[in-house]
Amino acid sequence: MRLSEVGMERLLRISSAFIILGLVVEIISLLWYHPLSFVLFAFIGISLIGLGILVYLVSLAFVASRSTDSHNST
Amino acid sequence: MIAMLVVQIVLSIILASIFLIRPSVTAGTGWKILAFIGLCALPFLCIVGGMNTHMQRSEQTQFCISCHAMVPYGQSLYVDDPSYLPAQHFQNHRVPADEACYACHADYSIYGPLKDKMRGLTRIYMQYVSSPPNPIRIPGGYQNSQCLHCHLGARSFEENQIHAAVMDSLKSNQMSCLTSGCHDTAHNIAQLSHVKFWRPGQ
Repeated sequence: MRLSEVGMERLLRISSAFIILGLVVEIISLLWYHPLSFVLFAFIGISLIGLGILVYLVSLAFVASRSTDSHNST
Repeated sequence: MIAMLVVQIVLSIILASIFLIRPSVTAGTGWKILAFIGLCALPFLCIVGGMNTHMQRSEQTQFCISCHAMVPYGQSLYVDDPSYLPAQHFQNHRVPADEACYACHADYSIYGPLKDKMRGLTRIYMQYVSSPPNPIRIPGGYQNSQCLHCHLGARSFEENQIHAAVMDSLKSNQMSCLTSGCHDTAHNIAQLSHVKFWRPGQ
């Protein structure tokens, strides 16, 4: 397994972890009927999910740059 | 609506868990597509759905009066006195009973709900960090647009001679519906211990 693949897998793991955490926060905020539940979702839930999506998109860019590099070297 | 959002969240968690445990599965094309769905498309839909649900929930009367400072304002909706404007609107269903606060305290411009939410955040700060003012005052005063949103165009409102005489001042907010001596009893929470309350169903 190449180093770049390990890096890609790590990014996917980080992205998944952020998304799972964010979604758990979202579930808690939906079950908790309180004004603070909106704050919990808006500031913590959305940030975690958004960060997860961002890391996933970075991993896609990582793959794209890797395939461009290998194409140039051939 | 919420059931569909929960299904989306659960599905998204299942997919994300697969990529958390075995990220190497994304080597296959089908899994790449699933990764895009599970780590980008579905979570994004969950954000949109969650935001929508929270926005709708915060329009509920029960949501507003769940803050300690708002409890007397909720009680004032049950005052058995027609001169109490919010009580009169609430008890006669001139506003939806389950969205009574939102009906009269929302900015109806295009960014209204968002502006109200931002303002609501300062209320939450007051509730938990500092202390809410007593009585609570609306920044900039109560805008006539909140009343005119429903009343403008209504026959009984427009044919009223007093309203017709001051219509331009009402529309331009130069004359307040509430503080110009016409409809001047709103929540009046300082007097709640001296008033009679209406009990629904009695």
